[in-house]
Amino acid sequence: MSAIITVENLGKKYRLRHQKSETYATLRDTIVNGAKNIFSSDKKNKSTIEEFWALKDVSFEIKQGERVGIIGSNGAGKSTLLKILSRVVHPTTGRITMEGKMASLLEVGTGFHPELTGRENIYLNGVILGMTRKEIQKKFDEIVAFSEIDKFLDTPVKRYSSGMFVRLAFSVAVHMEPDILIVDEVLAVGDAQFQKKSTAKMESISKDEGRTILFVSHNMPAMEKLCTTSIYLENGTVKRIGNTSELINEYLTVTNAQ
Amino acid sequence: MGKKRIVIEPGKEGGAYWRDLWNHRELLYYLTLRDILIRYKQTLLGIAWSAFRPLLTIMVFTVVFGKIAHLPNNGVPYAVMVCCAILPWQFFSNALSDASNSLVNNSEILSKVYFPRMIFPISATSISLVDFVISFGILCLLMLFYAFVPAWTILILPLFLAVAFITALGAGFFIASLNVRFRDFKFIIPFLLQLGLFISPIGFSSSVVPEKWKLIYYLNPMAGVIDGFRWAILGGETKLFMPGMCMSVGISFLVLFLGISFFRKVEREFVDII
Repeated sequence: MSAIITVENLGKKYRLRHQKSETYATLRDTIVNGAKNIFSSDKKNKSTIEEFWALKDVSFEIKQGERVGIIGSNGAGKSTLLKILSRVVHPTTGRITMEGKMASLLEVGTGFHPELTGRENIYLNGVILGMTRKEIQKKFDEIVAFSEIDKFLDTPVKRYSSGMFVRLAFSVAVHMEPDILIVDEVLAVGDAQFQKKSTAKMESISKDEGRTILFVSHNMPAMEKLCTTSIYLENGTVKRIGNTSELINEYLTVTNAQ
Repeated sequence: MGKKRIVIEPGKEGGAYWRDLWNHRELLYYLTLRDILIRYKQTLLGIAWSAFRPLLTIMVFTVVFGKIAHLPNNGVPYAVMVCCAILPWQFFSNALSDASNSLVNNSEILSKVYFPRMIFPISATSISLVDFVISFGILCLLMLFYAFVPAWTILILPLFLAVAFITALGAGFFIASLNVRFRDFKFIIPFLLQLGLFISPIGFSSSVVPEKWKLIYYLNPMAGVIDGFRWAILGGETKLFMPGMCMSVGISFLVLFLGISFFRKVEREFVDII
C-alpha cells in the first residue's frame, strides 16, 4: 500500500518579538517611548526579534487506513503539525503530499453560532468543515441520532448545556466522509458514555471504511486503544515513530522523571 | 489512486485556488444566510431595520439640502433624487465596512478550518446586496407616492449595481487583509465613509461640479455609480457624462484587481498574525 500522507523536512518558523521592558514604567515614559518609537526608524534597539522553530525537519509517512497518534508534551508542536496538515497554517520549509479528501477537526464546534438552532448549526458547521449540502441532508438523521439531542433540534444552541453542545458538534464532524481525518484533542468532551461512543465511532470509520486518522490527545488510554502507530514529538522534532503502547510508556517515563 | 492530490509547499498553493473557491459556493451561501439570520435576532423591528436606515437618511437629506439649502433638483422630486443616490451609497458603505471587518470577525473559523479566505469578504458584500433589495422597495414606494414613472433605462440598473459591488469587494479585499495586521482600519474606514457621503454626489447632482474638475471628480468610482443610478431611474433631463463614467468603471475594476492581488499575496499569513 502506498503512502496517503508524505511529509518531508517540514518546518515552521515563528518570529517572537521581545520588548525590552524598563524596571518600572510611568505613563509619561510610556508616552515618550511611544512617541520615540513612532519617529525613530531603527526599532531594533527597542525590541529584539527571536526566531523560533515550532517544527523542524519533521518527516514521516502514513499509509491508508492507519490510525496515527501524535504524542508529546505541551509546546512539542503537535497542534502546529495538525494545523499545517489541515492547510490552516502555511509551512516555512518542507513538502507535504496528501492523496484524497482531507477533513480536519481542530476544535469542536468551529463556526457554531449560539443564536442559531441546532438544525441550522448542523448545516452551517457541516459546510464549514467541507461537506456539501446534499451530504448533510443524507446524513442528517444519523447526526441527530448520534448526538441524542433530537428533542432540542429547533432550540437556539445558546440554550444548550455544554454537554449537548459538544455532542452535537462532534456528531457533525464524525459524519463527514473524508479519506483523511485530522482530530485534535476533541475527545475530552461529553460524559464517559459519550466519550466511549465517539472513540468507538472513530475506530469503526477507520477499520470498516478504511479511512486514515491522525489523532492528538492527552487521553492516553483512548490513544492506546485507537491508534496503531504513533509519532513522538519533542521540541518540534520527531523523537521516535513506532508502536503506540511503547511510545506512551516512553513518554510517561520521561514525563515522570522530570 | 485517481483521487485528488494536495501538495503543500512553502510559497505555493495546494491545488487550484479558483476552483476551490467555486467548490465552496455552498459555504458562501450558508455564511451569508447565517449573518442575515443572526443580525436582527433580539431586535424588535427585525429586518425592517434594513429599510429604516435609508429612509431616515433620505428624510434628513431632503430636509437639509432640498428644503433648507434649496439645491437644484432638475424638476424631479428631491426625495426621489436623493433616494437614487442613497441606495447605492448605503450598499457600498455597508458592504465595504462589513467586508473590512469580515476576516477579523471570523478569526475563530479562520484559525481552525481551511478554505479560500476570499469567502469572507465576498459573503459580507453579498449580505449588503440583500439589504439593497429590501431598501429598493423604499424607492418604489417613493416613486409611487410622487406618481413618478421611471425611465425604461431602469432595466440597466443592475449594471451600475455591479460596478458598486466590484468596487466594494475590491476595496474590501484590500482593507480586510490590512485590518488583519493593523486594526487601525476599524477606525479609519467609518471616518472615510462619512467623508465619502458628502463628497459623492448624493445630496446634490454631479452637474454642479465645475467642468475642469469633472474628470478628477470621477476618480471616485461611486460618483459614476450614483450618476448611473440617477440616469437610469430618472431619465429625461439627466445626462450621462461618458468620460467620467468610463473613468469610474475603469477605477472600480482596477480596485478589484489590486484588491485581489494584494489579498492573495498576504492570505497565507493571516492565521499567523490575526
